[in-house]
Amino acid sequence: MNLDPNKSPAQQEPEPTTGSAPAPVWLFVLVALLAFWGMGFLDSHGGGFQPVVYAPYSSIKELEDDQPRSEGKKVLLLGKFVYDEKAKCLACHQPTGLGTPGQYPPLVGSDWVLAKEPGRIIRIVLDGFQGPVTVNGQPFNNVMVPWRDTLTDEEIAAVLTYVRQSWGNNATEVKTEQVKAIREKTAGHSGQYFAVELLKVPENE
Amino acid sequence: MNHGPLIFLGVFFALTLSWFGLVFEPQLQLGNAQPTTNLVNAAQLYPQMRPGQARQGLDVYRSLGCAACHSQQIGQTGRTYDVTLTDPGTNRAEVIAALLKVRPRATATEAEKLVAGPMPQAILKDVAHVAATNAMAKLEPTGAKAEVKIIPTGPDIARGWGKRRSVAEDFLFDQPVMLGSQRIGPDLADVGSRLPVANWHLLHLYNPQIVVSKSVMPPYRFLFEKRKIGREPSPDALKLAGNFATEPGCEIVPTDEARQLVAYLLSLRADTVIFETPMTVATANVSTNTPAATNAPAAQTTNSVVK
Amino acid sequence: MIATSSSAHTVSPEPGSGPVAPPADIDASCRVPVMVLLACAAVWLVVASVFGLIASLKFHAPNLLADCPWLTYGRVQPAQMNALIYGFAAQAALGIALWMIARLGRTLLVQPGYIVVGALLWNVGVKLGVFGILIGDTTGYEWLEMPGYASPILFAAYAIIGIPALLTFHHRREPMLYVSQWFLLAALFWFPWIYSTANLLLIFFPVRGVLQAVVDWWYVNNLSQIWLGFIGLAAIFYFLPKLTARPLYSNYLAILAFWALALSGGWGGIHSGAPVPAWMPSLSTVFTVLTAIPLIAITINLNRTFTGAMAKLKKSLPLKFVVFGAVAYLLAGALAIVSAFPQFSQITHFTLFTPARTQLFLYGFFATTMFGAIYHVVPLLIQNEWPSARLARAHFALATLGLVFYVGSLSVGGILQGLALNDPEVPFAGALNRALVCFRVGTLGDLLMAAGNVCLASNLGWLLVRCCRACCVPAIMAAVKPQMAEAAR
Repeated sequence: MNLDPNKSPAQQEPEPTTGSAPAPVWLFVLVALLAFWGMGFLDSHGGGFQPVVYAPYSSIKELEDDQPRSEGKKVLLLGKFVYDEKAKCLACHQPTGLGTPGQYPPLVGSDWVLAKEPGRIIRIVLDGFQGPVTVNGQPFNNVMVPWRDTLTDEEIAAVLTYVRQSWGNNATEVKTEQVKAIREKTAGHSGQYFAVELLKVPENE
Repeated sequence: MNHGPLIFLGVFFALTLSWFGLVFEPQLQLGNAQPTTNLVNAAQLYPQMRPGQARQGLDVYRSLGCAACHSQQIGQTGRTYDVTLTDPGTNRAEVIAALLKVRPRATATEAEKLVAGPMPQAILKDVAHVAATNAMAKLEPTGAKAEVKIIPTGPDIARGWGKRRSVAEDFLFDQPVMLGSQRIGPDLADVGSRLPVANWHLLHLYNPQIVVSKSVMPPYRFLFEKRKIGREPSPDALKLAGNFATEPGCEIVPTDEARQLVAYLLSLRADTVIFETPMTVATANVSTNTPAATNAPAAQTTNSVVK
Repeated sequence: MIATSSSAHTVSPEPGSGPVAPPADIDASCRVPVMVLLACAAVWLVVASVFGLIASLKFHAPNLLADCPWLTYGRVQPAQMNALIYGFAAQAALGIALWMIARLGRTLLVQPGYIVVGALLWNVGVKLGVFGILIGDTTGYEWLEMPGYASPILFAAYAIIGIPALLTFHHRREPMLYVSQWFLLAALFWFPWIYSTANLLLIFFPVRGVLQAVVDWWYVNNLSQIWLGFIGLAAIFYFLPKLTARPLYSNYLAILAFWALALSGGWGGIHSGAPVPAWMPSLSTVFTVLTAIPLIAITINLNRTFTGAMAKLKKSLPLKFVVFGAVAYLLAGALAIVSAFPQFSQITHFTLFTPARTQLFLYGFFATTMFGAIYHVVPLLIQNEWPSARLARAHFALATLGLVFYVGSLSVGGILQGLALNDPEVPFAGALNRALVCFRVGTLGDLLMAAGNVCLASNLGWLLVRCCRACCVPAIMAAVKPQMAEAAR
């Protein structure tokens, strides 16, 4: 039975055709308005496209304002900021501090990091390091760049404290004054340190 | 006119855009995410891998399609701040003056009482960030010590489903991630700290109405084995009473799948404080009897914002 | 893009790059492959209805079939969705798309044999996938629950069907493209990309943590809004002018809608409460709101095309289906925009409002449009009218009434449930009960739609049996008779 009595015989039925009425101008105005609104919405709700900002926070600043404020925590936060963002230590040493096997040494449980006094690692951060070196029994042979001109004394102290006290590491904090003293003492040092040279630095510095 | 190539290129471009924005860029941002610092217990990273039995339980959860009715994502619509006086210091008169500025409606006698009472004393409750910061700025110069507590808010949190919102870090090691999109049953993101007793979950799976009389959840009896009691009743057998008791001489014993599923449910917790979700944890609110499971560190301290 | 196609073109009868194939020959070339796809689609539609009814009934009696692990709600519900999407929607979409590509290109369908093979392979994949879900091998990702041993089969089957479709498009004799061809061509490319991306990133080399959910949301949104959306719109833009015998109001508006939808439609789907960084749901919200532009363009275009054709609507059943589908599309689009706002989705997201929206889109828009197309196309292909107009009319009444019941009760129920869930004073059981009452009305809708689907399937089955009898039996008899005679001798 035919469901559509007034349809043309099947084989002659024409394919559809199009008219050419113009699109109304107000539609384009609406595109502009919605785009403008969208920008505003992303500004206020987008969290600056930061991976750590979740609603209801709208910016990383708001989030930082709500972080713990005791003195110790503040240093750790600055240290984490330097490690993750400013110096991007995590690129080689990984966010877990475990390094990359065979390429970049771990910071977790490392004798160098956990040494009683931070004199040697302050030097490494200041002027960089040149392999080979043995860490936790594994050989590594790679280069670390110097940070003398990029990081302040406070930042170096904070990142080292962060490294010495995170991921299960538990060593004393590094004071800004210690970094300052060593920076002045080694002002004339040229090029990166070798392991041999660092081992000559007294352990109690 | 031949629009074929034009359509192809345009479509390719449009699809690439959304692929770049919602597949590639999120992968760049979160694809290499690593466990992060647990702000309450800095010695432990968050999250920890779920224990083996719980990981098997995730498989049971996936296979039975539990996510068709249960979500695992707690929403947070805002946050509020409480200011608490912890130590009035020595300069009482100035503290009282500051208190009157912070709470203009309070009378001098009330302020005196506050300062004289046992510490800690609530000064402001449910205020915005500005008000809390302002109060701290007034109180600190007087030598008094005060704390600001950050409290996440929202219907889910008010319902007791969780203490803070769910964030990507909570799901880091799960495969697959079972976020769910329906709340025919309650949200389970934090069920491990809300309902920490394994036996409760076993009974609930066997017959939900034993523990929740109005429940519309179907029973999962096929996760249990009914067997004749041998020489002695099995220690694992469910303790069923009254209407729910099984026929005499028989006992109901959970299968491995039931145990795994319960281990998984108990491992579901989202109460650790990390950078993304600032909040003040009161020791009393956080249970400590976790099966070495995920997040909750054994001993909780407060990480209140001390200024 | 709009300027390039500025001439007021009507699809001209002049041959393009070769001799134009007569419609009868085109239909003959499409006959076997398209009928295989459509018949399988109808069977899957009934299968999905059965699963849907089981799932729906479980709300009334949680103990129903509770001791059968295969039929637990968490498995039946995804089995229903997969049967509906991959079994029915995809096959109906491909069948109708192939026919439209051939008809609009005025060329014969290329390699119909391969398409039949592809269609059969596709059915093997869907069967395996649905079976996998029922035995508990689901992947756990919404709309992608089919296990890893089924999805590559679907991908291969799609390639076997898609390549002849592209070749048919390439060999078109009609140089002027009609707007439906734009949509169809885009849809043909879209599916393999999103399906392979989602399968690779979720099943074979899974991304980490919550990114899985992000990829899944992206896939679901692209599959529904773009793939099914484009094929459904192609059918609406094709059949509405055809069945009303009026030209499409504006080519520019249609092309504007095409590009606007292609650019903005693929970004939605991440709800504002999702455990992902704030920018992702916000981006989703903004782009979903931008789909207002194509939605408005489509509304104006269809409305102007249709105005004055009311009389035709009363007489033509396929037109009724298509118009109903178009209205459902616009409504579903409007609801999607409203739901994109955090204030609204905060209330409705985890409630029955979401399945109501999905059903409005999948069944109200897509399936209904396909029904209209099927009722129009099948008689042309088989050269035989539908055996029962009454069954067809019953299908329309049952499908539309069922949908209105289902979507109406679930959206109201969903909003009530959401308001209760957002009020911590109301206990959880109380919130759910409000929804359950509405869900019971929804089950009635489910039942009506299932009955409608059975009408379609039985009508189609009847038609096929009759045709077989009409053409096969004499042929067999002719072949057998001489032998019989010989044997008798």
